[in-house]
Amino acid sequence: MGDQTFDDLRRSLLESGVAPRHVRRLILELRDHCDDLRHEALAAGCDPAAATARAMRRIGDQQVLAGKILGIAELRTWAYRYPRLARVCYPIAYVLLLPAAPVFAGMARASILARWGAALLLSATVTAAMFLGMQLSIALG
Amino acid sequence: MAQTNPPFMSGVPELLVLRLLAQREQYGYELVKSIRLVTAEAISLGEGVIYPALHGLERAGALKAKRKTVAGRTRVYYSLTARGRKRLELLRGEWHRIQSGITAVLEAPANG
Repeated sequence: MGDQTFDDLRRSLLESGVAPRHVRRLILELRDHCDDLRHEALAAGCDPAAATARAMRRIGDQQVLAGKILGIAELRTWAYRYPRLARVCYPIAYVLLLPAAPVFAGMARASILARWGAALLLSATVTAAMFLGMQLSIALG
Repeated sequence: MAQTNPPFMSGVPELLVLRLLAQREQYGYELVKSIRLVTAEAISLGEGVIYPALHGLERAGALKAKRKTVAGRTRVYYSLTARGRKRLELLRGEWHRIQSGITAVLEAPANG
């Protein structure tokens, strides 16, 4: 219910720099609230379409809601609150983290790396066994 | 049907939210219902607007949010912190001060 409206709200808040955890929780709460209002309207005898419309009306205008959220600076990510600081800190952080990138990538894909290592070990063992067989056949003539 | 009146509503949702949460923890929908019930629908908010207020108060340390599963549904319950209680007392004092000032003006003789 009202999914498109809430998706639009979610997108506009994220684009305006509201912290994703606040946006996630806000949308979850609004959806739940809408469900409760809809059930209330259904219990009062509304048909489903009217119940949904009434619930959305009571939730209120999405632009007003977005304006209220954007009015609370503390709900925005620090990079939006302190853009100058972010312009300094982000490049430094990237430079510091760059050498560690392969390690993080390996940790994120540990199972793939383990399979690749096992396959490499197996193929090395088979190759070594073949060389040993050939060596023995030459030596034993 | 109650009507919203923005010029008179500045700071009121915050005061109501803090006062109602001082009694017991509640989630958003429950809180809006409490406001409508306690004020006999004299104060009607666009119900979604309660969430920015709650998030702002939580960020300011006046409220604490906790997820709870009740009857198969996950709700975010809000409760007052010590800082929230102090804020409530401050707002309550401000409200009484303004209310008595306005009452004095309204009850003064018109030609006085």
